[in-house]
Amino acid sequence: MELTLPPRLSATRFRQALQAFEGVVGKGWVLATDEDRDAYSDIYAPGSEKEWPASAALAPGSVEEVQAIVRLANEYKTPLWPTSRGKNLGYGANAPRMPGTIVLDLGRMNRILELDTTLGYCVLEPGVGFFDLYEHLQREKAPLWMSVPGNAWGSVIGNALDHGIGYTPYGLHARNLCGLEVVLPDGGLLRTGMGAMQGNHSWHLFPLSYGPDWTQMFTQSNLGVVTKAGVWLQPAPEGSLLLTWDIPNEEDIGWVVDTITPLKLAGVIDQNVFVPSWLGKIVLKGQRRDFWDKPGAIPDSRVQELLKEHELGYWQAQVRLYGDEAVNRAKADVVKRAFGKHLAGPPLEETWKTGDPASQYDATLGIPSAVALQMGDWIGGRGGHMGFSPVVPASSQHVLGQLRRSRRIIAEHDVDFYASFTISGRFATNINMLMYDRDNPQQVTRIRKLFNALITQTAQAGYAEYRTHLGWMDPVNATFDFNDHAQRRLNERVKDALDPNGILAPGKQGVWPAAYRDLAARRNAT
Amino acid sequence: MRRVFFVAAMTMASALAAPPTPPAPSGPPLGPPPYQMRAPLPAGDRLAGGKAGAALISNLCGACHLAGGMGTNLLTKQRVILGEPPESGLLENRQDLTQNYVKIIVRRGRMAMPGLTRVEVTDAELDAIAAYLGKAGP
Repeated sequence: MELTLPPRLSATRFRQALQAFEGVVGKGWVLATDEDRDAYSDIYAPGSEKEWPASAALAPGSVEEVQAIVRLANEYKTPLWPTSRGKNLGYGANAPRMPGTIVLDLGRMNRILELDTTLGYCVLEPGVGFFDLYEHLQREKAPLWMSVPGNAWGSVIGNALDHGIGYTPYGLHARNLCGLEVVLPDGGLLRTGMGAMQGNHSWHLFPLSYGPDWTQMFTQSNLGVVTKAGVWLQPAPEGSLLLTWDIPNEEDIGWVVDTITPLKLAGVIDQNVFVPSWLGKIVLKGQRRDFWDKPGAIPDSRVQELLKEHELGYWQAQVRLYGDEAVNRAKADVVKRAFGKHLAGPPLEETWKTGDPASQYDATLGIPSAVALQMGDWIGGRGGHMGFSPVVPASSQHVLGQLRRSRRIIAEHDVDFYASFTISGRFATNINMLMYDRDNPQQVTRIRKLFNALITQTAQAGYAEYRTHLGWMDPVNATFDFNDHAQRRLNERVKDALDPNGILAPGKQGVWPAAYRDLAARRNAT
Repeated sequence: MRRVFFVAAMTMASALAAPPTPPAPSGPPLGPPPYQMRAPLPAGDRLAGGKAGAALISNLCGACHLAGGMGTNLLTKQRVILGEPPESGLLENRQDLTQNYVKIIVRRGRMAMPGLTRVEVTDAELDAIAAYLGKAGP
């Protein structure tokens, strides 16, 4: 990709800045060729990846180098886009929000600094991937489990900072962060929580601080570069029991949620419970064209045929219980009784105990896998995907309302419907997976229009996304409109106070610094 | 190998949220499959040459391209469609790859595979990987 300069920066000044950065990280870790820019682009971009071009990338190897880079960036006015491992796939990957921003790639900072098997935590640098940590736990024979996202190619810290979710009892990843080390926009260094005291022994154990705790301020944020974090890990359970039900009808998701939520709140179910719709099962059996060879959405009549032919429910609910076998059995009885009020048949039951083989693809056992990337194969060609991801209260009223609304809007745009609900307690995350062939302009145009419609109409109904793609960070931000967008105005005031040059991640999550606020797109992307 | 593919294909998961469905456990107790137990990255300056290609491909490519990994699963399917043996889904078993082809695919990506940055795989590391995999010559 040809060079796109940062806004209001001359080519000469840009070259001088790169030379200055070379003085910090060495020539080999300043990456600024056309090929480098290609590698820092969104591989699933809905349309041209040139909408979100990086100008270069820098790869520091230490906290001190990050600090030096940030100070130079202030001097040269070169904006930086920090990424941990750059695998934010479906949300923009490692590409920056603002064209011409330099990617600050923290992938070289990949040390596992501490592992405490007694109190169940580790201290990581941002370049540590889920595979790295998993292998370390295996080699150390540490009795600890991670929580992993569906695609575990990325960074443990990066995923948590971007509010990623997993499917174990530790599935709210941002909540597992305890005690951060952060390079501030002026190059200064902060430790959050108890780490604010030099040498404090409880830094990665006590989740608050003395006075306000700033940890969550640095998640989905452009207020600092996280260079180190404590991450809580689940003590490996002695055993586990998995209950699986096929749920026959679309509207059954209402009672499924009303059944699971009270059990979650009561502590009978600990994990994040994932309930995907039928399309998640059909993909086992081939490519889309094997089931429906027309360009428009698979019609309902064909869906019903497919469910019959392949003996599938519209949804599948899986509840995994963790711990002592007798306790799991007792909990399973409670869960089965609750489901038995709605379904005649018993669930499929699978037990697992320490030492048994575990499925290498089971995220509910905290096992990392990158097989998620295979989904591109369903559509064929250069398959891309985006997720429309609103958060709704975990009750049938809200879940059914959300289901009917997104189903209608997606049908109006003639796109296949693939939804899932992940029940996390008082709320559920509804992922609507939208798949497209990047090289099919009609499909891309349709998906973009659909995405705009989903954001707008879902917001009108009182719900918002928890995370979104680069191209929609501004429109989703705009849906947070209480008191004339008071939250955005506060974010901007904080941003301008801490980062007067607007160096760090301009536009991240729709928060723009004064220096670039004129570049904000405060309307739907088109 | 075919079975491995079909098991792996049971996912529609993504970074967005979607764990794969687990197949029923079977066989004797095993450690993690190869793609979840990669070789450590060879020590030393990553910008300098002289590292072992086998260790580099295990560490840097293994999460997808060792047995059980998603790249192996997809390539196995493609190879079988082409009438090739399923074992050729594993890159290390390929005899027809040139070094130049390996370098181009790693940097530019292909189908589901994204191009990799020079932080993920340095040029020196890619030279060693290409030398190791490129059994059909330069």
